[in-house]
Amino acid sequence: MQVILPYQTSMDVETWKSQLRKGAAELAVLALLETEAKSGIGLLDALELRPEIGLSDGSIYPMLNRLEREGRIEGRWRTPAGGGRGQKLYALTADGRAALKSMRAAWLGFRDELTMIVGEKK
Amino acid sequence: MKDAATIENYLRGLSKALRALPDRDRDDIVAEIRAHLEHRTGEGKLAEAIKSLGAPDACARSFIEEMKIQTAFADGGAVKTFGALLTLASRRVTATAGLFVSLVFFLLAAGFAFTGLAEIVAPDKAGLWVGPDSGSIMIGTFDTPATPDTPLPPGAPEPPREILGRWLIPFAAGMSVLFFVIGQISSRLFIRLMMRRKSPTAI
Repeated sequence: MQVILPYQTSMDVETWKSQLRKGAAELAVLALLETEAKSGIGLLDALELRPEIGLSDGSIYPMLNRLEREGRIEGRWRTPAGGGRGQKLYALTADGRAALKSMRAAWLGFRDELTMIVGEKK
Repeated sequence: MKDAATIENYLRGLSKALRALPDRDRDDIVAEIRAHLEHRTGEGKLAEAIKSLGAPDACARSFIEEMKIQTAFADGGAVKTFGALLTLASRRVTATAGLFVSLVFFLLAAGFAFTGLAEIVAPDKAGLWVGPDSGSIMIGTFDTPATPDTPLPPGAPEPPREILGRWLIPFAAGMSVLFFVIGQISSRLFIRLMMRRKSPTAI
């Protein structure tokens, strides 16, 4: 008989959630940049009420840096009209829009199929 | 005032830890982290932000690792690809496996190249050898010539026979190139695997 201790189950779920987040965070960032350019802080603020996405101050900048080098987003430094602190705003490139379109379609298909198997929240 | 000193101290450490990157990339990252920390200071959350970013070394590492993987993949050269695997091997299992597999192929390539050169310098000691009794095949160099001028003492085992002669040079060169290419392909496959693990399709 296999005995599963509560803390072991909890650890396994955290590992699994971490795997889920790896891809989801990138899709979330691209989707948030679809309508308007945002800074790293702006993205974090938009995701503040979405802790399950798993993006933090420490993880967002390496991701933005990578997406920029991949050519999916473009960053530009902007200083507010009235002066003050400058910030780097990110916007989707044409490649980024194409990637978002494909990723969104893949995600929606995946979500629908999984929901059919797993079911809605009970 | 204390917050400003904390930020400067953090950014100094970050800039130092990012020295492996080109100046422009490093300055851009440091400027962005500065803007982030100053914004969080305005919200009274500086300590929280620094905790989330991690120590300057850890924060820098996440940028450097991403950049090394991408540069290696975009460059495609053996040196950068192998270098990226070497750098990341201590922190990622995939890189460790890639380093081991590609190292085996690169060593085989080097071994064949050495044997080909040995055939040019000392043709009597290098070759593709066939054992007289077991029929085993070996490639490489031997200290003693396979065809001694003096006759063998009675009962002594027959020395291995060299079968390729000067053809060993193109053979070794071909095998060296083949194993080098396999090593390069395998290291790129592992780099691609590390990139794919970060892609949304990994869900």
